[in-house]
Amino acid sequence: MTNRLAVPFHHPLLRTLWRNSWVLGVWLLLFGLLIWYSTLIPVFGPFQIASITKNSLPLVYLAIGQAIIVVAGGIDLSLGALLLLSNVVAARCMEGQPAGVVAAIGVALVAAMALLNAFTGLLIHRSGVPDIVVTLATSYIWSGLALWILPSPGGGTAPEMRWLFTGSPSGIGGSYWPPLLMILVPGMLVALWARNTRPGLTLYAAGSNRTAAQLAGLDVRRAKILAYALGGSMAAAAGLATVAITGTGDPRFAVGASATLNSVAAVVLGGIALTGGVGNLFSVVATGVTLIMLNPILIAMGVNSNNAQVLQGVLIAGVMMVGGLSTFLRERRS
Amino acid sequence: MSKPKLLLATQAIAKSYGPVTALRSVDLTVRGGEIHALLGANGAGKSTLVKILAGVQPADQGVLRVEGQIVRFRTPADALHAGIATVFQDPALIPDLTVAQNLHLSRIDRTHFRDGLGWFGLERLDLAALVRELPLETLRIVDLVRAVARQPHVLLLDELTAALTAEQAERVFALLRDWKKQGKSAVLITHRLAEVMHICDQATILRDGRNVAELAPANVTEHQLVEAMLGASLEPTSAASRSERPPGDTLLEVRGLTARHLVQEVSFAVRSGEILGLVALEGQGQERLFDLLSGNRQPTAGEIWVNGTRCHFRSPYDAVRRGVVLVPGDRVIALLPNQSVQHNLATPLFGKLTSWWRLPSNEGTQVQRTVEQLSIDTRAAAQVRRLSGGNQQKVVLGRWLVGGFRTLLCFDPTRGIDIQTKHEIYALLRKLAAQGAAIVLYTSELAEIGLVCDRVLVLHRGRIVDEQDARRATESSLLTAAHGLEAPV
Repeated sequence: MTNRLAVPFHHPLLRTLWRNSWVLGVWLLLFGLLIWYSTLIPVFGPFQIASITKNSLPLVYLAIGQAIIVVAGGIDLSLGALLLLSNVVAARCMEGQPAGVVAAIGVALVAAMALLNAFTGLLIHRSGVPDIVVTLATSYIWSGLALWILPSPGGGTAPEMRWLFTGSPSGIGGSYWPPLLMILVPGMLVALWARNTRPGLTLYAAGSNRTAAQLAGLDVRRAKILAYALGGSMAAAAGLATVAITGTGDPRFAVGASATLNSVAAVVLGGIALTGGVGNLFSVVATGVTLIMLNPILIAMGVNSNNAQVLQGVLIAGVMMVGGLSTFLRERRS
Repeated sequence: MSKPKLLLATQAIAKSYGPVTALRSVDLTVRGGEIHALLGANGAGKSTLVKILAGVQPADQGVLRVEGQIVRFRTPADALHAGIATVFQDPALIPDLTVAQNLHLSRIDRTHFRDGLGWFGLERLDLAALVRELPLETLRIVDLVRAVARQPHVLLLDELTAALTAEQAERVFALLRDWKKQGKSAVLITHRLAEVMHICDQATILRDGRNVAELAPANVTEHQLVEAMLGASLEPTSAASRSERPPGDTLLEVRGLTARHLVQEVSFAVRSGEILGLVALEGQGQERLFDLLSGNRQPTAGEIWVNGTRCHFRSPYDAVRRGVVLVPGDRVIALLPNQSVQHNLATPLFGKLTSWWRLPSNEGTQVQRTVEQLSIDTRAAAQVRRLSGGNQQKVVLGRWLVGGFRTLLCFDPTRGIDIQTKHEIYALLRKLAAQGAAIVLYTSELAEIGLVCDRVLVLHRGRIVDEQDARRATESSLLTAAHGLEAPV
């Protein structure tokens, strides 16, 4: 008996490319859009790169967090609300503080949100209530809490932190390196971690086939809690990025709700199966930026920004259908 | 000579699922250096006992000892730590990860693992392949080699050989002989009595959730094992029970049916009242052929004729409407696992509903008649997934009795089913044929051909290479043809 593989390529390099074709595809799509965008506007330079990158940061962080949870077989509708919570706590506590205190508050927030969402994960596991129901409930709780902490937009943060996420102490202009590194490094680290370490692979295992993972002696409960904890910490990071970019805290419910939906959209576009266990986390970096870029592109094209959402929906449907079509063709060929 | 030490022992283990008692009281003792068979008819409690020993579910009552120590398993990981490694019927491998990643997760040393694969001639297996890309028989071996590489005291093998070829099974037995020389032991759950006679030192027989006998296979015959399992002597279906009525009209005919390289120019016809057997080694295109016949996939060339009309099946819906129905190899895919037996049986009727608010009045009686006709065990009727494998298979068959059909396609309907239910299914197939149905039966058990079929076709590399009269066909004549060889003159 030989290795009868249902894949078209046997060469290791070609097969790696084939398996990661979705990641390549979404990055190519992003670069294609960037090139197109650069031809649409009069000037395309460091300012535009910095602006696109920093504005994408919150969504990309949130999408990475969502992707981790989805890969592990869950889904978290409360990530946007956690972003709000982190955003308002940061804006309220960091205003007028020196850089050291601000850094300490940032780290504490990330840890606290990880714990908070780990508890949500534990609750889901223990109660057996579907992820979508539990996190829908917690999303209202966190949003309410955010309003309670900061009833109206306000607050602020230290210039050092604004520089870290935007490349400029004032949040406008500046170098594009800080935001570019802040967007690429976490994505790469998380993607490598998930594919190459035992805890990371356990997330994939739990999402791919929960029973098989359990029978193989893996701790599925711990995997779920870990995924939710990481998701929570990424949401906290997204909140910090928001306060750094805007310079204020904004407790409006709609901001969180649309952030949650966008994170799910980025995950779906990134080829991460909502059924769990499949997909490369690095692709959501590209799809997060893509979703953010749609708006300026459409404005540059002279399209009414009210129509942007329609086109965003068409894009998601279109990309997913291309994916579905390729799967269909692959299956028919075998 | 002192007896070797007890590696694994249960005392009065009991388990119930709601109102259904799966295990009443089971005492099992497995000693070092012993291959122990766990035998029992359908629903005797084998699967439940395996789940308890493997830590999948806790027992309600009773004591479990490993090497004399009382243990309580809460998760499969606990059982692995205690030195009990299980190879389940469905390989416990993560489909979306590569083999290497699966090993990494289980902390298995790759060099050891490669050695183990070498034993089965799989040393060239690509560890970078995704599990979902590998065929089932390879996965079962990978799962076994992984279990061995964990270096447990006791190996629990649940129907391991069912998906393996004869040579692979022989390699498994050689491995087990070597295994017991090291003072370790294995528990074998199998329906193949020949294997028990061949390899096992002890056999514990379960019936109705109790251990009713412990025998040494060396001292008894296969018939005695069967009697112990059933608690009564068995009436085998014989060739005599077939009707002597000549077959009627042709119900299903295929001409030059081709699906790429998998199925090539297959032509045959089945007539009313006839059971046509199909025999093939693993992976000769039989799965695809059944997919084509049942409308699940479309052929690249060739024709399908039903009742003298040429048909194009675009989906199983078209085939079912023409009276061509399938009992698939994997019964779970055919069932609605969380629905009741009644609901599952009534499924084919849903397409015929004419009223939006009431089921047809004859539905209940039709379903009830089928349950009785097939003697489906309805203790766990509320959810089909709780039934034993044999009872689930009866539900799959029963669904078409309710729905009505002309041609029945059966893909290995008795795989992993106990001997009594097997005979019930044989009898049912004969009866359906006598009532005018045409049946195409693929089976991996060659003995079934002589018991049930009228004619038999042999498939090799996607082609029909031989046709034999089932009454005269022997296991050796079929195996010779299945390997693509000419019969010796």
